[in-house]
Amino acid sequence: MVFLTAVNLIRSRGPDEWWRKRKIFKLAAYFYGRRRNCYSLAIRSVHRALVYATKSRQERKSDLAELWKQRITAGAAQHGIEYWQFMDGLHKNNIEINKKNLADLAAWEPASFESLAKISKDFVEKNRNK
Amino acid sequence: MSSRQRVQQWATFARQWHIFDCKWQNPYESAIAIVKHLKGLHKPIYHPMNDCGDHVICINTKEIALPGNEWTKRAYFHHTGYPGGASWTLAWELHSKDPVMIMKKAIYRRLGNNLQRRYTMQRLHLFPDDNVPKELIENVTSQIRQLRVVPQRIDHIEKDVIDNYPKIMDYPTDYLPKTLK
Repeated sequence: MVFLTAVNLIRSRGPDEWWRKRKIFKLAAYFYGRRRNCYSLAIRSVHRALVYATKSRQERKSDLAELWKQRITAGAAQHGIEYWQFMDGLHKNNIEINKKNLADLAAWEPASFESLAKISKDFVEKNRNK
Repeated sequence: MSSRQRVQQWATFARQWHIFDCKWQNPYESAIAIVKHLKGLHKPIYHPMNDCGDHVICINTKEIALPGNEWTKRAYFHHTGYPGGASWTLAWELHSKDPVMIMKKAIYRRLGNNLQRRYTMQRLHLFPDDNVPKELIENVTSQIRQLRVVPQRIDHIEKDVIDNYPKIMDYPTDYLPKTLK
């Protein structure tokens, strides 16, 4: 008796087994121990690694924003001004430089950063009693 | 890399030495300022994996000031690891045993729990008074500003300054001032 329906296809999964596992082993190539070579262990670790990769894509953005904020705070403190005052002064003077570039300026272009800090400090002084 | 850039690199990553006078300072608030310098958070090149922290020398830890009734109420916990090995030491007791320990613990706690904490603590130098070894004090190039103004005690003011201070009245000869309790 020959079944010609799709029922037969249930157990035949995808491409050839060797190639299917090879895709997973390539992703597991840098793992430690048996997780690199045993398929049943490798597949678990690869799934977990892909979840981490997906989450980290979002977390990287906030981590970097936090680092830039820390660096700008340090740069602004060198000129005696706080982070929020510095950023507010730039914003009110229509200077639209993002945090990444401000952090770069603080480290690599201290003279430019000092000029920006001076603009913010003048703005704070001018609006002190308003 | 030109020689000028090379020297600039050295100067950027050189460890600085800061000094902090703990006299009449709250250790838990001071720890925030000290940790900032120990970790290098005050530099625009900061990165958690960048080893850019500085050295800090804390002097006069014997003369710290705890707020409120913390000298008698704050307890420091220690456990030897053996059954019944727990002990609670009050702040005044700990301070009388080791005048450096309260400041050290405040900073250690503020550093946060990570693997770098013990290495960062090696860059902290605590002294109960202002006797700092010469090989340490000669490195110092900057001072961390105190968070609180150290008040002047009336028994430390010279007598002729008090006598010549302008006053609006003299106390009557039979007046007895209220004694402090």
